[in-house]
Formats: sequence, structure tokens, C-alpha cells
Amino acid sequence: MSKTEAKQLVKDARTSGRHALLEPEAKALVAAWGIPVPRAVRIEGITDLAGALAALTPPLVLKVVSRDIMHKRDVGGVITGINDYEAVRAAVRELQANLAAHAPRARLDGFLLEEMVSPGIELLLGGLRDPQFGPAVIFGTGGFAVELVKDVSFRLAPLTREEALAMMQEIKSYPLLTGFRGSKPMDLEALAAAVIALGDILQELEEIQELEINPLVVSDAGAVAVDARVVFA
Amino acid sequence: MSTGTDISFFFHPRAVAIVGASPRHGKPSQVILESLRRIGYPGAIYLVNPHHATIDDITCYRALSEIPDEIDVAIFAVPAATVLEIMERTENIKGAIIVSAGFKETGPAGVTREEQLKALATRKGIRIIGPNCLGIYDTISQLDTFFTPEARVQRPPRGGLSILTQSGSFAQTIMDELAAAGIGVARVVSYGNRVDVGESDCLSFLMDDEATKVIIIYMESVDDGRRFVEIAARCTQKKPVVVVKVGKREAGMHAARSHTGAISGRYEIYRAAFKKAGIVEVDGYEGMKDAAKVLSTYQRVAGNRVLIITDGGGLGVSLADACEALGLKVPELSEGTQRSLRSKLPAFFVTSNPLDLTGSVTDEEYVIALEAGLQDEYDLVIVTVLWGPPKLTELLADKLNAVRDKQAKPVLICSPGGEFTRRMAARFETHGMPVFTTLESAARAAAMLAGRTR
Repeated sequence: MSKTEAKQLVKDARTSGRHALLEPEAKALVAAWGIPVPRAVRIEGITDLAGALAALTPPLVLKVVSRDIMHKRDVGGVITGINDYEAVRAAVRELQANLAAHAPRARLDGFLLEEMVSPGIELLLGGLRDPQFGPAVIFGTGGFAVELVKDVSFRLAPLTREEALAMMQEIKSYPLLTGFRGSKPMDLEALAAAVIALGDILQELEEIQELEINPLVVSDAGAVAVDARVVFA
Repeated sequence: MSTGTDISFFFHPRAVAIVGASPRHGKPSQVILESLRRIGYPGAIYLVNPHHATIDDITCYRALSEIPDEIDVAIFAVPAATVLEIMERTENIKGAIIVSAGFKETGPAGVTREEQLKALATRKGIRIIGPNCLGIYDTISQLDTFFTPEARVQRPPRGGLSILTQSGSFAQTIMDELAAAGIGVARVVSYGNRVDVGESDCLSFLMDDEATKVIIIYMESVDDGRRFVEIAARCTQKKPVVVVKVGKREAGMHAARSHTGAISGRYEIYRAAFKKAGIVEVDGYEGMKDAAKVLSTYQRVAGNRVLIITDGGGLGVSLADACEALGLKVPELSEGTQRSLRSKLPAFFVTSNPLDLTGSVTDEEYVIALEAGLQDEYDLVIVTVLWGPPKLTELLADKLNAVRDKQAKPVLICSPGGEFTRRMAARFETHGMPVFTTLESAARAAAMLAGRTR
């Protein structure tokens, strides 16, 4: 998807009265600004699986796509470690059962079948539009306990490479990024590029109130947006 | 009279008027007249009050419009309800300082009144400082609109520090304390409710103001976030800007539909803005006082290496801890300096860093230590002086100042203690040497000079 198409996607979603983008849309948006996302196929159910599987390399993860579900994991909406056709079918059925039990009223917008990302460090890369200062970018330790750990750094957009690198140095877990206890140093340039890109998205798309990539998984080979959320103003 | 964005006339007004002038002792307007006279305001002073023909032998006009002159700054010290009425009938003023309270801070009726004031001023092209403020204390243009008597709140001498503040109580307190410490100021602006002129306008004036070397801002909220960052960023290229942000607990205004929203309070965004603009943020009133003292005396240094000279071992070690906690380095003296010191000082002195001159120290030994230290590879020196050692004399300040004068490196004095110590501190201050009465404040000041504040 090009930037122009991504901008149109946001406009259309706004026009149709939606308050946020769906995960596949949000990922397409960040990808348009050069932030890598996992290879994925959006499916409706178990009928169109063969084509989808041919395009992907296992292991895979299956995620629910729903405009009504904010925390997918809380409703059993994420199933990991899927390796073949049979496992996908089982996973879809399991996920449907989970939803029936935990989110029966949620409108379903399909499923996202996605390649799993090789292990790395989970980071938070977010942004928001402040009423006084405009677009601000937040970078820090990611995962589900972000508010608890609160290991983050803030900057106003647009950002320079130096500012992006300084943000990283400000968080407590910075040593994890530079090679901690024998691990390889992470790809800081890829991270910096993602941080800058996130600020650029907020600068260019005024409809966006909050944008969050969590986790952004970084390794020595790059940074990948594993989940993304876009909320409108 | 439209003035556009230029507010420089507030800082060299040719003519001022006091609206609501009164002969009654203790009335704000009477104190303001006294303040203007005491500071020696050189321009024309006009008084306005329909109930008096003269006050203190000065003609009193019935209305602003009857003054046969163009007024740069009209100081309104009348009840809030009458401010709008008077301004509506006035054509000959460029700017107003409205000290009157009774606006936004008082509730819905006040909010409405303030909105009306804003609309009126915009329509007439009048720039406003206030309402609910103290206005300007300016040693360069010799303007003082503060309605606090000098006998209660001392005014600082002329200097290079300029202060911008939403809080009037903050303005008075810091001025009083700066005056007591002998630290000078250039321009102090208290803009209260900030209906118009705020930190962004003031900064854009101060950035090219030669009299202003350092700017301190006391900030509750920002006037115009993006504009402030843009102007402050240009300003910090020319001179240090220090900010104290209060109201840090204010919750985020962001819909918490993500972790990002939940974790982003207002203060976090303010900090990001300060960083973007290259503003030095200090923590609270004490930190601001330290900044005022040290930045109005010394230029910032390139490195972060501190030498501590002390006559109390425990104090020296504590100070070293405080410095390191703030990101400063307290490295050992070079071999050469240690050798030279050992040849000049008694054998039981510890020639390390902190350099401990012990309780048997003399004035001359302090001088030897400071001379040697200044020549070593340090960026700044903190001399802690405890006045217990009986051989120290009252001349120590003069002697240390003589050594300092030969060197460009900053020398901070850290001298905690009681009555005698405070008397001695005044001697250092006479020489323009900044004195800190706690270890923490000395360390904070040193960190500020080294550009390491948090």
C-alpha cells in the first residue's frame, strides 16, 4: 500500500464513522511509511485457507479482527504456533469458540493469519496528538504491562535521527538494546527509522489521535510491528 | 493603535499612566507610584482618577482620553468591573498592565469578563499584560509596577537574569530572595491570567535583548505550545532558558484507548517540549533559585568534571555523592597536581578528590588548593567551607575571589551553617561568588552548569 492509499484508507474509515482502524489496516498504514510488519493474509473463515497458506511460511499466528475488541488476548483472540493446514482449521474453530464464550456480541471483521516473528525485545512505539504541542512520540519497554513498568521516553515530532537515538538511551532497558550479557546488539538504525516514521505519520495524518505499535519487536536483524492500533481524533 | 506582535514598548515605555491612582497609603495604585519613583522611572507618569485634581502634586486626569499624550503602558489598578468600561473609551494607549483581580480566577462571571476583555483588546489593538498580575519590574528601563512595598519585598539590583511568570507570588518571592543574595535581574514579567502577552511573546523579545543573559520561566501552563517551542528553540541558541513546571500531576487529556494514551500525562508532553526547545528544566523553587544564582554568574561549561575542596571530610563525601547522582564526575587529581600539593600542604591532608584540607586549614591552604585545582583538568570547582576551623579568617572570601578572578573556570561556594556562616556567605556574595547553603543545591547548580539537570 502506498502512502496515498493509506491516507485514503484513513479518510474512508473516518467518513464511515469509525473511531479506529482494524489491525490489518493499521499495519498497512505503518508499512506504507516503511515500518516492517509480518507477512499476513486476512481470511474470512476456513473456506479460503489454501491460498492464504501458500503465501505464508509457518509458524503462524491467528488473530481475531474485530472493531469491538480492544484487547485480543483477553478474549482468547490470539492463537500461536500454527504449523499446517489442519492446525489453522483447528485454530479458527478454537478462536470462534473463545469469542462465543468471552465476546459474544463483538462484530467480527475476519481473522488475520500472520507469520510469527522471530524472538527479540518487545518495545512500545506510540504517538499521540497533544492539544497544545501537537504530535508527540513515545518510545519504551513494550508488552502488556506498559503502564506498570512505565519505562518510556517522549519527544515532539518531527524527530531527527539524533533525537530518536537519544530517546532510546533514556529508557532503563537501553542496555538490552546494545547487547546485554552476550547477546548481539539490536538494529538501532532500524529502530530509529521506525521512531522517525511514526512521528512523520502523525505529522501528515491529522485525523490520527493515537497510534501505537506494541509490541515492536527488535532483533539484530531489524524491527517489526507485531501489533498496531490507530485511533482517530 | 495596532502594535502587531511586537511588545518591546513594554520594555522601554516613554509614557505610563496609573489608572485608579490614589493618594491613600497602602492602596496598590499608591504603592505603584511609589515603586515607579523609587526606581527612578525616567519617562512621563500620568495619573488618572476622576475624584482627585492632584495626587502628590501631580495632575490627576479624569480619564485616560484626557491625557494629551500617547501612553505606552497604562497600569490599571481599578476594580475589575470598571476595567472594560475605561478601556472601551480609550484611544491613546498601546499596552495595558492590568493588576486588578476579579477575572477568570473568580469563576464563570469572571471568565466571561476576561473573554470580553480579550475581545475588546484585540479590537482596539491594545496589548495586555495580566489581568491579576504584578506586571513588570525592569532594571534596564527602570520600570516597577509591582504593588508590593519595597520595605516588604526587596527589589534586586540590575543584572542579566530575566524572569517570566504566571504567578505573582513566585515573582515577589524570588525577587526578594535574589535581592537578599545580591543577584541582579534585567526584566521580570508577571502576567497572571495571561489573557494576551505570555511567555512566547516575551521570549521573542528577550532572545535579542542584550541586557538579558539568562531567562527563567515559571510555568503553570503554556500559552501556545507549538509557537512556544519554536521561539524557545531559537532563544536557547543564544542564551540559556530555564523552566520550572508546576502542576505536574495534571492528568493526560488523551483518550486512553491505548497504552500510549494511558501513560501520557500532560507533564510528560511538557518535558518533551522542553527537550525539543533545548530548555533546561529544574525541579521546583529550590532548583530555580540555584539556577538563578549560578547561571547569572557563570557561563555553562563543556564537560562534567568537578573538583571538591573541603575542610570537612564527611561533607566532601556527601557532596561527591550528590554530584555523581546528578551525572557529574568527581575524578582524582592528576599525579602532577597531587605531587605539587603534597609539597605545599601538611602531610596529613588527603590529596584526592574531595580534597580534604581538614579542620586545621588556613586561608592560605585554601588558596593553594584552589590555585592547583583550577589548573588541573576540571570543568568547575566547588569549594565547601565550614567555619569551624579556628585558623580561618574573615578574609578568606577576598583571597579565594582573587584566585578565581585569574581563571575562567566557575568556582561555587558551598557553605552550610548558622549565623556566623551566613555572615561569611555575604562576603562571598559581595564578590559575586554564588554561595549555596546545602550540599544538594551546590550539586544541582554544578550540574546545571554542566548541562546535566535530570
